[in-house]
Amino acid sequence: MPEPMMGKIFDEFPDESEWDVIVIGGGPNGLIASAYLAKAGLKVITIERRYEIGGGLATEEILFPGYYSNIHAIYHMMVDYMPVLRDFDLDRHALLWTKPNSQTGMVFEDGKSLLLSRMAEDTKDSMMKFSYTDANAFGKLMWSWRKIVDDILGPATYIPPMSPLDITMAMQKTKIGQEMLELAEQSPLEIITDNFENDRIRALLLYTSCMWGLDPRETGIGMFVALMLQRGSNKCYCEGGSHKLAGAMVREISRYGGKILDTAEVTNILMENGRAIGVQLAEGRTLRAKVIMSTLDPHTTFFDLVGTENLPGDLKESVDGWKYDKWSYYTLHVVSKEPPQYKCDDPWINDAFMNIFGLDGMDQLLSHWDNVVAGKIDMNNFGGHATCESYFDPHLVHSPWGGHVSFFQMHAPYEVEGGWEKVGPELEDAILTKWQKVAPNMTRENIVRKCYETPEGIEIRLPNMRRGAIKHGDYKPIQLGCFRPNQDCSSSATPIEGLYTCGASNYPGGMVLGGSGYIGANKVAEDLGVIKWWKPTKEMERYIKTYLE
Amino acid sequence: MAQEERYDFVIVGGGPNGTAMAAYLGKCGASVCVLEERPESGGACENVEPMPGVHINPHAVYMYAGPAPGFEQLELHKYGFRMNWSPLIETIAKQQEVGVLVSDGVAPITNKDIEGWAKICGIASDPPFIKELLRATHWCPPHPPEVEVTAENIPYMQVYKKHAPDIWTEELLDMTMFDLLDEYCETEPWKVLTAAGAWYSGAAGHYEGVAVPAIAGEALVTVYSGFSVPRGGMHGYFHAIIRCALSHGVVIRTCCPVDEILIENGRAVGVRLRDTATTDEKKVWANKAVISGTGIHPTFLKLINPAHTSSSLRKKVKDISLKGGCCWVSHFLTKEPLMPRAKFLGPGRMEPGEFGGAYPCDSRDIYYEHVADVDGRKGAPSVPPEKLLWMATHSARFPESDPQCTMPGAHVAGPYYTYVPPPDYEAGGPGTIDHKKDEVNAIVRKAVSEVIENLDDDNLIAHFVSTPWESEFRNTGILAGHFGGIRHCADQWAELRPIPELARYRTPIEGLYLCNQTSGHPGALCLMAIPYNLMHILIEDGLVEPGKWWYPSPWYIPQEGKISAALNSNEGESYA
Repeated sequence: MPEPMMGKIFDEFPDESEWDVIVIGGGPNGLIASAYLAKAGLKVITIERRYEIGGGLATEEILFPGYYSNIHAIYHMMVDYMPVLRDFDLDRHALLWTKPNSQTGMVFEDGKSLLLSRMAEDTKDSMMKFSYTDANAFGKLMWSWRKIVDDILGPATYIPPMSPLDITMAMQKTKIGQEMLELAEQSPLEIITDNFENDRIRALLLYTSCMWGLDPRETGIGMFVALMLQRGSNKCYCEGGSHKLAGAMVREISRYGGKILDTAEVTNILMENGRAIGVQLAEGRTLRAKVIMSTLDPHTTFFDLVGTENLPGDLKESVDGWKYDKWSYYTLHVVSKEPPQYKCDDPWINDAFMNIFGLDGMDQLLSHWDNVVAGKIDMNNFGGHATCESYFDPHLVHSPWGGHVSFFQMHAPYEVEGGWEKVGPELEDAILTKWQKVAPNMTRENIVRKCYETPEGIEIRLPNMRRGAIKHGDYKPIQLGCFRPNQDCSSSATPIEGLYTCGASNYPGGMVLGGSGYIGANKVAEDLGVIKWWKPTKEMERYIKTYLE
Repeated sequence: MAQEERYDFVIVGGGPNGTAMAAYLGKCGASVCVLEERPESGGACENVEPMPGVHINPHAVYMYAGPAPGFEQLELHKYGFRMNWSPLIETIAKQQEVGVLVSDGVAPITNKDIEGWAKICGIASDPPFIKELLRATHWCPPHPPEVEVTAENIPYMQVYKKHAPDIWTEELLDMTMFDLLDEYCETEPWKVLTAAGAWYSGAAGHYEGVAVPAIAGEALVTVYSGFSVPRGGMHGYFHAIIRCALSHGVVIRTCCPVDEILIENGRAVGVRLRDTATTDEKKVWANKAVISGTGIHPTFLKLINPAHTSSSLRKKVKDISLKGGCCWVSHFLTKEPLMPRAKFLGPGRMEPGEFGGAYPCDSRDIYYEHVADVDGRKGAPSVPPEKLLWMATHSARFPESDPQCTMPGAHVAGPYYTYVPPPDYEAGGPGTIDHKKDEVNAIVRKAVSEVIENLDDDNLIAHFVSTPWESEFRNTGILAGHFGGIRHCADQWAELRPIPELARYRTPIEGLYLCNQTSGHPGALCLMAIPYNLMHILIEDGLVEPGKWWYPSPWYIPQEGKISAALNSNEGESYA
């Protein structure tokens, strides 16, 4: 620092420092890893590039001034399973979850609707309007899928991945294991069309299954249909916004002596004799540590920070092949005087956590997705989902003008035909027109403020969501399980001594599962010989006992 | 969650004052709970990214807290605290090179201006006494009621007497800042710039009897930190404070608005949360004290049942002046960087990146016209745009590794400030000006365009505005959206701030203390000063016993019959 005329002003964070563990990236996984290891007594520091930690756990005043929005994560599906919610006393930080019974509505142009509820019987009631065969099929499937999720997919999220062969062997042990294997072999589209007959029910279920980036026609990912439909009917809202989960984690980290450095960009990982020994920051500071944990995508971690010249074996080739999510998102955030009132045959739709509209059936849905994957948006055929956040959360509005905050979100390509500069505003207009069709009070007069975020915007705000990839990489069989991000790194340790990966690009993936951070913390604790103060959850123990022993 | 929530201290409001207080108390070993209404703590120390890569600062921008004992007492460097040092800190001569913005271009600052300014700020002496002067004005609790305040015991007067007896005169206490500048400096534009800067930082250039506090309020940023900002903005500084608090076991809860301060037998015993608070238990009990980190108005007029206060006190609280500090805050997002007109640029004038300051500083008539508009006529700007006074912050405060804008092909400038009346004082009632927001925005852009040549519709992508009325809804502790807390006039300064009965942060309600920029000396600017000053009082009342890290203000006078906060301290060491 400079020597001003009055002498030294105050001390600052040192230019050089020593740590046990450096975690790169303050998103959910980085914070979870830091919290476990800080509480284990290690000297841990989390380095975050942005001015605020949280990554996708972001609740921000983008409709400035006075209105907060959840700009990324909002629908929390794994709250019931995440070990971190049991291992830490997060309640003490006023973390409160709401799980509405009315979960996902789908409103059609003719005023009919479908409503996916937390309690399957309510969903069945809604489906009965269209097909009692489908309603009963849904009841049966959810009954068995709940077991698949509770016994296998839920707990396995927090245990290092197995090879496909090992999974096959293990799953043979039980009937639901075998069911899971059968399911996995199919594509989402096959599962939905094989089990359901009604076009609108199919559209709702396929949308819910694939909305976070599954290819409906890809085989080998069928188990995600069970996971997404079951967990997609159990979405939780974090009161006060998703950022509160990040805030609660930081409070725990700080409480146990962990440190956070934000507005700090790592420019490279320091290497010595093939070993990762520290990081260099853009601002010039250097931090050294026994262990570096990166939550960033493989390209950033290995190419940009470690450097290709330092990559052993065929790591370069496997990192090279990494593919980002096949689509990203376009989100329109609005402030309206009144909350949207959907005009349809089921008033409970207005209570739903999420409402899908714009898609009247399977043809429209599939053609919308095909367009997106091809880099196009058809202004006459697109749909998405909307949530009125302030309907669930009074803490988001701090303005003399009052009103409500909502958003509409849809799948969108990173590179769009025509360019986002042109398509962005056109799409905003098309969305508002579409919204008003299903919710007549969403007139231009009712909407008092608005802003949209394109996939390019996502990447600018959160540079590690490269190409707007919210999961840091596509969910396809060769990038899932023990192949995420590659066979060498999927259990967190990497071929580079001292370097671990534990972000969304690691098993089990993104979407605030908190799995890779937890698995990474376990691995580092084991490798550093630290006593683990935590135990697996009872669901994990049962899974280990049934399938792994 | 536990059935009954009980702490030694419950703090209402997680802004910089409430949170720094929590850090101090946590460090003393007390159990503390901070309850914040908004989804994010930080109060005025906030960053907003309304569009991807566009960083704006709706409130606090510059580091004013440089001399705060809090940096070493709370050891903020351990919690990630860093600065983005501005090139302007190196030497005051650097500022001299830049000159002052006037209608004709740039008016030079003379040697006499700088020497006079340096002399009264305590930089000209060897060694400089600026740190002591600034600590004396801000980091010392007001004297106890039994002490008669005189030229001999006012802290800053003691500093002048000790270090600069040639400056010391009892008349310092009777001056406005303009009077003092007239005596020590030379050019009118420099005086106008300095007076306007003081007004935007606390005491204004024309307030009687607060010449030195006005100088000191401004010197905190112009001289002491040289217009530097913390890394990550003032929210980055706040992060260090909150993480210090957390590491000392403080519990901090957001989305937990307090609806009532619970009082039993004349004593504050806890708080009741609004039913929407994100906790199961809606009452939080305080064994030792409730500390209100929110505004003086909500504290006495909303949170305390009127059965516990006299109507006379409530009336005095209502009458506290909120004038003189309400900013209409603008940020401009443009395709091309804002470019000052040729007459303001060039050698001996400004570089585009150095651009900052007030305009137009031609004469104090312009300043007074602005005062008349804001606090006299109490309406939207009525002077012609070319005479509308505004302030621009320096873009140079952002280093390459902490940029203000990462949106490709776009540039952010701001905040640009212009004063408007506090909403409560608007002639047409609160919100009158806000209903003409677009009109006022256009006036602001026109005024700024007197200096900037390309703030036109072709270049402008977005104009982000936060008005005082919006500010007070976003941040309920910022009464009337007032950046300074409440007016820093002689009637509301030191032993009289906010009113004499409340000046030492105590209240008529036992166990209730005040810790907000509106409720105590010295006021705003995120200084960690109120918490430091209040520490003296809590020690006096036997509520905390800090360790050896604590040192009191050397000008502090203990209250009769109380425990002195100067016991067991390392005073000599830290003030050496």
